[in-house]
Amino acid sequence: MKNALFGYLFLIVCCFQSCTKAVDFDQIDNVQINTNYIVTQVFFNLEAPDFLNEFGDELNIQSNLIETGISGGTDKYLEKIVFNVETKNEFSRTFNVTINLFDASKNLIYTLSPTVVIPPNSGALTTQIEIPKKDIGLVINAQYIDFLLFMSSSSDGSIISPSDPSILNFKSYVELFLNYTTE
Amino acid sequence: MRKIVFIVFLMLSVGYAQNNEVLYDFAELPQTLILNPGAEVSNNFYVGFPLLSQVAVQGGFSAFSYYDIFASNGVDINTKIDDAVQKFGNAEFIEVNQKLEALSGGFKLNNTIYLSFGYYQEFNSLIKIPKSLVDLAYYGNSDINHNYSVNKLAARAELLGVFHAGISKKINEKWQVGARGKIYSSAINVSSKRNAGALKTTYGTDNIYKQQLNNVDLLMQTSGVFLEDEDGNIDVEAADFVKKMLLGGNLGLGLDLGFTHNYKEQWTVSGSVLDLGFVYNTQNVKSYQVKGDFEVEGFDLEFDNSNAADYWNDLKDRFEKEVVLDTLYTKYITLRPLKFYGAIHYSFGKEYDNCRFETRPGLFSNKVGVQLYSTLGQVHSNLALTLFFEHWFNKHFQAKVTYTADSYTFANLGLGISTQLGPVNLYLLADNLQYLSNLYAAKSANVQVGLNFIFYNNN
Repeated sequence: MKNALFGYLFLIVCCFQSCTKAVDFDQIDNVQINTNYIVTQVFFNLEAPDFLNEFGDELNIQSNLIETGISGGTDKYLEKIVFNVETKNEFSRTFNVTINLFDASKNLIYTLSPTVVIPPNSGALTTQIEIPKKDIGLVINAQYIDFLLFMSSSSDGSIISPSDPSILNFKSYVELFLNYTTE
Repeated sequence: MRKIVFIVFLMLSVGYAQNNEVLYDFAELPQTLILNPGAEVSNNFYVGFPLLSQVAVQGGFSAFSYYDIFASNGVDINTKIDDAVQKFGNAEFIEVNQKLEALSGGFKLNNTIYLSFGYYQEFNSLIKIPKSLVDLAYYGNSDINHNYSVNKLAARAELLGVFHAGISKKINEKWQVGARGKIYSSAINVSSKRNAGALKTTYGTDNIYKQQLNNVDLLMQTSGVFLEDEDGNIDVEAADFVKKMLLGGNLGLGLDLGFTHNYKEQWTVSGSVLDLGFVYNTQNVKSYQVKGDFEVEGFDLEFDNSNAADYWNDLKDRFEKEVVLDTLYTKYITLRPLKFYGAIHYSFGKEYDNCRFETRPGLFSNKVGVQLYSTLGQVHSNLALTLFFEHWFNKHFQAKVTYTADSYTFANLGLGISTQLGPVNLYLLADNLQYLSNLYAAKSANVQVGLNFIFYNNN
């Protein structure tokens, strides 16, 4: 019986002598996990007829309004949003793309800066638009995004020919930089 | 040969359940009959103390321990998390198992037959987490062309009661065989296995990137989780679960088989296969299935305000059409995770009293041997190898020490002690004792305690 008592005592003492190595659960407050996600965005491939109306006149300003579909999310962990644009322009015109954000009543709440400038006859160009943390709340609460495309007029007053084979490419994606913290 | 390779492959790739390396074949405890219905027991009869004859809790996470993350060692916690993520295996798992024996009893019918019976409740849960999902959450999806696959994602949880009755028969001095029949009464079952699909970002054609969901095929079956009545109301009490575990739930049948072979005086081989059975889930069944493929390069702007496209709703509609979510109410069968035990041991050393008379004629004081444990299930599998030494100090006190290599660690030290004072038998089993000086470093823990009344023939 002594052996039995010794055995149980051994296990009980072991249990009470355990857990002695130093751990610090308060470290949880210092956790920071930095993650970034890529989300593909809008693109367009416009040809000469896309810049002409039914009368053959140039459309120097065009817009495309998109309902965001998802809005009102939390910006608690979003550190930065970077809108990456890649363009290619075979036309001998300069294009500017301005991206405006609107609320549910279609009031302008934010304009991405800088405007995307696409020089004439330009190869692949990359533009990065960084949305600072202070503006992220506006961006993720936007209900509509409007893409405004400006085409410069020609220097000699000529009009784009409908048979011009040139193409304007615009490609984009967004990078979301998150910083998860436990504070 | 191909069959053997296939079986070995299955054993290594699927299955789950807790190992009872210390309890197996220990001190002729009545509970060893649950692990091997062909085990040798020498008592005349026994009764387990209601609700206390076996209380077992086991839990673990195979990837890392608390200490790996929270050690107070001057290393920044973010560095430790980073290390843990980098060391994360292809698929790690979290499991929690609990067992409570409510009723247990057994008696020797004659010199060759021993009958045992009882009822126990058990809860098992396991979630298998693939590395790619951890990478997706921790690093994001910026690794182009990387397949963030859910192929290894699986989960299982069940709460059930088991009625059982077994027979152990001594064929001759060398052979003892046994079988146990079981009726399962399942209160809750959740099962998600053989999931497939991957999220991938590749270089696009119209846009910079194309994002894809490839070959998505996810299925989660549940029974007893969603307990709405016909009107969709939920009014559930704990007593409802108890009722379901007492033959009021989804029922199933099972069988355990086992043997003990004393092929030489001091050499013994034993083995068992447990839970060869199924539960037929017919009540409160609700399952979810997601199937399909989807890819998107983004919104193709047309700058045509006269015919404005509804980009978001078009995308949503296309997604819902191509990736279909179904809610199913089909009855389903879940196979119980099969468990295998096998052991070989060598007995030696006799007990003598002060007058050099054998205290227990014919029995040896020590056993040393090897045990093998494996599970074969549909969610996850375990394989464990144990070396053990068991010593009978006297008829009142026995102890067993085990050293196990399993899915959590290659060095799991276990200890079991069993005492018998008159008819009162008390046992306590625990493993991962090498972490007792620092419990936080253990990736798993297993504790069992039990109280029986065992009556031996004094002659």
